[in-house]
Amino acid sequence: MNFSLSEDHIMLRDTTADFLRDQVDLAPLLVPGSDAHQAPYETLWSQICELGWPAMIVPPEHGGLGMTEIDVSIVLRECGRTLAPSPFLGTLAGTWALLIGGSQAQQSRWLPQVAESGLRMALATAPANGDAGATTADVVASAQDDSGDTYRLSGTAHYVVDAPGARLLVVAAMLEGQKRLFLVKGDQEAVHLEWLDWRDITRQVAHVHCHEAKGELMPVDCEAAWPALRNRLHLALAAESAGGLQAVLEDTTNYVKERVAFGRPIGAYQAIKHGLADMLAQTEFTATAVLYAAWAQSQDDRTATLAAAMAQAYASEAYRDATHRSIQMFGAIGFTWEMKNHLYFKRARANAELLGSAAEHRELIARVLEATPH
Amino acid sequence: MDFDFPADDDQRRTEVREWLKEHSQPTYAQLAEKGFTVPHWPRPWGLGADPELQMIIDDELARAGIRAPHHKNPVPINNCGQSLLRFGTPEQQERFLKPALACEQIWCMLFSEPSAGSDVGALRTTARREGDHYVVRGQKMWTSLADKAHIGVLVARTDPSVPKHAGLSQFLVDMNSPGITIRPIADMSGESGEYNEVFFDDVIVPADRLLGKEGDGWKLSMQQLQTERVALSRPGAIWGSGPSARELVDGLVAAGRFKNTLVRDEAVKLWIEGEILRLLALRSLSDRMNARESGPEGAVRKMVAAPHGQRVLDLAKRSQGVAGMVKNRDVLPMTRAERGPFSNWDHAFWWSPAVTLGVGTQEVLKNVVSERVLGLPREKDPTRHTPFSQIGKTPASQGKAA
Repeated sequence: MNFSLSEDHIMLRDTTADFLRDQVDLAPLLVPGSDAHQAPYETLWSQICELGWPAMIVPPEHGGLGMTEIDVSIVLRECGRTLAPSPFLGTLAGTWALLIGGSQAQQSRWLPQVAESGLRMALATAPANGDAGATTADVVASAQDDSGDTYRLSGTAHYVVDAPGARLLVVAAMLEGQKRLFLVKGDQEAVHLEWLDWRDITRQVAHVHCHEAKGELMPVDCEAAWPALRNRLHLALAAESAGGLQAVLEDTTNYVKERVAFGRPIGAYQAIKHGLADMLAQTEFTATAVLYAAWAQSQDDRTATLAAAMAQAYASEAYRDATHRSIQMFGAIGFTWEMKNHLYFKRARANAELLGSAAEHRELIARVLEATPH
Repeated sequence: MDFDFPADDDQRRTEVREWLKEHSQPTYAQLAEKGFTVPHWPRPWGLGADPELQMIIDDELARAGIRAPHHKNPVPINNCGQSLLRFGTPEQQERFLKPALACEQIWCMLFSEPSAGSDVGALRTTARREGDHYVVRGQKMWTSLADKAHIGVLVARTDPSVPKHAGLSQFLVDMNSPGITIRPIADMSGESGEYNEVFFDDVIVPADRLLGKEGDGWKLSMQQLQTERVALSRPGAIWGSGPSARELVDGLVAAGRFKNTLVRDEAVKLWIEGEILRLLALRSLSDRMNARESGPEGAVRKMVAAPHGQRVLDLAKRSQGVAGMVKNRDVLPMTRAERGPFSNWDHAFWWSPAVTLGVGTQEVLKNVVSERVLGLPREKDPTRHTPFSQIGKTPASQGKAA
C-alpha cells in the first residue's frame, strides 16, 4: 500500500509545471474579441513534441515510452492548471482508441508516428446530440468491393476536440447496424471541418463532415472498446479539472488577501474565508479522486469504471462550482474578458459536458453498485 | 503508487491473527500488554508501529469482533495519553498509563464550559494553589464519559492576571474526589445520556497531579485535540462510529429504495464523497509512512466528514418518509456488525446535529482551515491580549472608578 507520489512522479510533475509556467501564454486570448483561432496551439505543440509527451502512452515496441495513466494524469493536471492550449487531449484520445481498438498492423503503422513525430489525432464518436458514448453515429460506412478494410464514410461526427490540425481521426460510423471505429486521414478532400464558435477558447473544437471519406475499419467494435476508452477519457478530463481547481484556488486566495474593502482585505470576512475553505476541500477531493482513478486503470474493470466515473462526476461539478465562486469573489473585475477567470469558468463548463453530465456518470456508478454489492 | 491494502497473507497480519487465535477472548489488559492498544506509541507501551501496521491491528481486532480499545477508552488512547509520555513525570506515567491502556480506568476530558465552547480559552474554572495542593472551583459541560470515568483531564485557570490562553494549566483529577458533582445532560436525541455537566465545589487536587508546568494548559489542550488517530478506512457518520455512505447504499438497495430516482442520485453523490473521504484518510496515512510532509487533507477531511455524515443519516431518514417520524429501529437494514448505539440509524440521525458542534463548531473549523492552510487573515479576538481578570471591564468604566 502506498498512496504517495514516487520521486519520479514528483519530478515529472515539477518539470511539467516549470515548462508550462514558462511557455503557456494566454495573453492573446485575453484580448476582447479573440477566439480559439488565437489559441497558440502550434508553438506549444512543437515544444510538447520535443518533450516527448505524445510518446508517453505509446508502448516501447512502437517507439513510445510506455508510461502509465498515473504519469499521464500528472501531466494533464498541469495542462489543466495552465489551460495550456494544445492538441494533447485529442491526440491522447485518438491514441487510446488506437491502442484499445486497433489491429496490430494499424498500431504498427501509426503509433510510431505518434511517438516519434507527434502525429496529431482526434476522436470523433458523437452524433448530433453530443453523446460520445451513444450506440449510434451520424456517419455511415459503406463497403468498397475491392478494397479490403477500406470503407467510404459519409455524415458528420460532432463536437470533435482538436479536430482542426488532426492528421489522423478515429471516427465512429454505422456499419451494418453497428457502431464501428475507422481510421480516417484528416488531410483528404472528402473530410471537411466546421470550426465551432466554442466558448472555451483555449480549445479548438469542430464538427467533422465526411463525404465519401476513406476510412480503415478497426477490428474492435465501438461498444466493446468504449468502456476502457471512456474510463481513460473520464480520467483525462478529471485530471485537467484537478489542475484547474488548484489554479483557481491559488489565484482567488491571493486576490482576496490583497483586495481591500471596508478597511480590511476581503479575505478577512468569513463569507469569503468559508467559501475558500470549501474550495480547498473540493480541490483536495478532486486531486485524490484523480490519483485513485489513475491507479485504478491498472486494476480490474469494475474498479476502473467506478474510480473513473467517480473522478469525473466529482471533478466536473467541483470545478464548475469553484470557477463560478471565483468570479464572485473577484467581484466585477472577475467578469471582464481581460481576466483569466472566464477562461477557467468556460473550461470547467465544457469539461462537465464533453462526456455527459455528472448525473449520468453517477447513474453508471449506481448500476455497478446495484449489480455487485460491496 | 499502490492503493492495495496489506494483503490477506501479509506476514504482519498473520502474526496478529495467530496471537488472536491463541487468545480468543483477550482482556484489554492483555491487548495493552501485547502493544495492540497503542501500537503507534513507542515501547514499552506500544510497538513503535508505522500506520500500516496500526491499520492491520485495527482491522484484525475488528475482524475478531473485539471492541477497539480506542472506542472503549478514547481519551487516554486517542488524545491525552501521549501528553503524559512527553510531559508527564515518571511517577505520573507509572501511576496512570498502565490502568488507562488496560481500560481499567476510564478517562474523560474536562474542557468545555457553559461560556467556553469553541472559545475554550475563555474558560472560568479556577485552580488556586494552596500549599501542596490546588483548590478547584467551577463548572464543566459536554463531558463525555464523566459518569463512568475514574480520571478526568481538567483544564483550569491558574493565573487570571495574564491573557486568557497563558493562564491555563492541566490536571489529572480523581473523579471520585469530594466536591465533584456529575449530572447528565438531556440532549435532543432523548435517549443517549452521552454528555454530562461536572461541578467542582472547592475540590482538592494534589499538586503532583499537575501535568507539565503551570501555564502549559493551552498548549497541551491543543495538542490533545489534534492528535486525532487516523480513523482508518471507515468514514462513518458520527465521528466515524456510525454508518457510512457504503452502508447507506447497501441498505437502500436491500430495502428496495435505491430504484427511487428521488433517492438514487443523492445516494451515489454521498457514496462518492464517502469514498474520497476514505481515500484522503489513506493518503494522509501514506504520506506519514513515507515521511512526506502531510498536506492539508487532515484538516480538510475533518471539515467535510461531519456534514457528510449528517447528510448520509439525513437521506436514510428521508428514504423512510413519514414512517421515519416514529421512533423505530427499521430505518434501513444494517448490513454490517453492530458497533454500539450509532449502529442504530434512527438514533444516529436524531443525534447527528451534534457532530458539527462537538470539538469546535463547523464555522470555527472553517476559520481554522482558511487561516492555517490558506493563510487568510485571522479572526479578531479583542480579548486575546487582555489580562483575563480585566476582560469585560471597559477602559471607560475603569476611568470612572479612578
